[in-house]
Amino acid sequence: MHGSHDVDETDSAFVFEGNWREFAKIAFPNLLLTIVTLGIYRFWATARERRYLWSRTKFVDEHLEWAGTGMELFLGFIIVLVLFGVPYFGLTFIAQSLIVRGYEAVGAGLGFLAILSIFYLGGVARFRALRYRLSRSRWRGIRGGSNDGGFVFGLSYMWKTVVGWIPLGLLVPWSMTSLWNERWNKMSFGPYQFEADAHSGNVFARFLLFYLAPVVMFVGMLIMGGMGMLAGYGFGGEDGMAIGGLVGLIGIVLFFYLGLGLIAVAFYAKFYREAVGSTRWHDLHFSFEASTMDWVKLLIVDALLVVFTFGIGFIFLSYRHWKFFMTHLEAGGEILLDELTQSQTATAKHGEGLLDAFDMGAI
Amino acid sequence: MDEAFRVAAEWYDGTNAVRHSGNLSWDGSGRFSLVAPASQMEFEAADLRFGETRPGKTVYRRKSVPDFRLILPDDIPPGLAAQLPAKSDYGAWVDRMGLGKAAGIFAVVSAAAVALFMTAPDWLGPRIPTSWERNIGEAMVGDFGGRICHTPAGDAALAKLLAKVDPAEEKVRAGVANMDMVNAVALPGGQVLLFDGLVQQAESPEELAGVLGHEVGHVRERHVMTALLRQFGLSILLAGADSGVSNSVFGLASMGYSRDAEREADEYARARMAQSEISPLGAAGFFERMAKEHGDTENSPALVGWLASHPSSGERAKAYRDAVRKGANYPPVLTAQEFEALKSMCREDPDVEEFDFF
Repeated sequence: MHGSHDVDETDSAFVFEGNWREFAKIAFPNLLLTIVTLGIYRFWATARERRYLWSRTKFVDEHLEWAGTGMELFLGFIIVLVLFGVPYFGLTFIAQSLIVRGYEAVGAGLGFLAILSIFYLGGVARFRALRYRLSRSRWRGIRGGSNDGGFVFGLSYMWKTVVGWIPLGLLVPWSMTSLWNERWNKMSFGPYQFEADAHSGNVFARFLLFYLAPVVMFVGMLIMGGMGMLAGYGFGGEDGMAIGGLVGLIGIVLFFYLGLGLIAVAFYAKFYREAVGSTRWHDLHFSFEASTMDWVKLLIVDALLVVFTFGIGFIFLSYRHWKFFMTHLEAGGEILLDELTQSQTATAKHGEGLLDAFDMGAI
Repeated sequence: MDEAFRVAAEWYDGTNAVRHSGNLSWDGSGRFSLVAPASQMEFEAADLRFGETRPGKTVYRRKSVPDFRLILPDDIPPGLAAQLPAKSDYGAWVDRMGLGKAAGIFAVVSAAAVALFMTAPDWLGPRIPTSWERNIGEAMVGDFGGRICHTPAGDAALAKLLAKVDPAEEKVRAGVANMDMVNAVALPGGQVLLFDGLVQQAESPEELAGVLGHEVGHVRERHVMTALLRQFGLSILLAGADSGVSNSVFGLASMGYSRDAEREADEYARARMAQSEISPLGAAGFFERMAKEHGDTENSPALVGWLASHPSSGERAKAYRDAVRKGANYPPVLTAQEFEALKSMCREDPDVEEFDFF
């Protein structure tokens, strides 16, 4: 079968066909095996979960495939432990013994160096996790990847994050979009590069909302507190005023935490729509349709699921997040199947150890 | 070709995204062939690997061509199915043993590993050569950055006191640290420090002899190495959590011993004091004062780290009081001048450094 696919936008290009009962049959044995192996099985557990999630996700007319293995994730973890964990331990040990001996400045400097290297490696890890995911994801036998090791990205990650915070945090949206672009522009699938040109200008208004909210809330806080006290005074004099003030205060705290959290989610939802929407692959363009309310629902149900199952619901979060991601991800454009040849990027034999060590998500 | 060894198949050759649809057949002697209008290939049955299952389908790979994918329906003629590699679910070991058996074996092995890890400090600590411990101590604290007080008279008084509670040929290294805390520590490498705060509040040299004897007991009974291993094990478990620089110094100072270790160290101190004719009343008085000041609870404030994980002060005061021999007339352990020299040691040492961290 030769030819091309028109990726029609009336039907969703990405369809998730899994269900949680099937996933439970993977997640519960995984949990059991992870516990009895003191966590060592979790690498194999991760591979099993991904194999399930990918294989139940259809892009146009073929399912995705996760070709990563538990063993390579385990090896990645061991490599990171030896290459970075041991030197880091040594460095902090030296720093401590220097401080005990009275060389406080040198010791603190070394400690700072250790923290700086963690910062750098965090950036490298983000890059390599995405690279690893693409290199193990297959569609019609074709995989993705990158020929870049991410070591330059690690430096960009450091300076862009710092610059983002310097002008009182006002450049954070820029650092986020810029890092997204830099990372995706180095990635490819099959023979074609990804291209991303997300603009921070498009998310800046949302960011300002988040940025200015504490000020607005502080004023609101005073008004609410005052009103609470006045109302309380109306009901019961001095005592009423105290109770009213207290109720006002609780209102303020709730408003502050929930309100600020909500606005943070609103910013992130907007950022994600902008970032995915500005990412292209050859003749395909992507979009992400999740609204702020979708994200809020996702997070609230996540929290309820974990709380009401005494934590066991945690094992379903990866399922929920993948489903959320695939439900809202859209793509349109054209794919020429016989031009879609195999990726020539190098593949690492080990997994995303670095990111695993830093415990971050890939996308 | 026999229908029992043929099935409809789809495959991707791995060079591009074009899907090939045709038939897979087995030739009866270890080779598969794939035939489609535009594609044809043959390979050894042993080259085929199980990939994954999808609803109604199974995906196979080839070892020699990692990008190749073969997709077969679930209803395969049994003759052909017997030639295909077995499905794998959990990973090789668990698949072979079965989930229940594997979980059981893993659980037993893990429990043994945990038990070994938890008890390792107790049996491994005393077996680590003293010279190693000395090196570790050297690497960790060295000379404490010149914060140990020295005056000729003070050093002599401390040496005299030490000789009475540490009869061994090679003495532990003892010092008074310029730190205003009521505390004393036994550090890795056989180094014992009395903090100046403790020396200042002491009402008699016998008190100091009790504390010093106790810390020497920790060194001689190899508690330090045990505690160090325990702390090291903990830091492995909490890997990364304890990356703060200054808190580990305090962690070192308040490095905890088990209550049994404390009792052993107390017994060691009382035995040495009895040998050297030192009155246990001083130590008893010290603990009574501590009990009064800090309350006789087991969880004393963290500030009095030396007391923190110890048996309660009241209990210890009683143990020391009971150790007094009836009708004995103990000679003073130090002269008044020697005691005074110990007390003024930190004040009069011009070179000693302040004990602050930043």
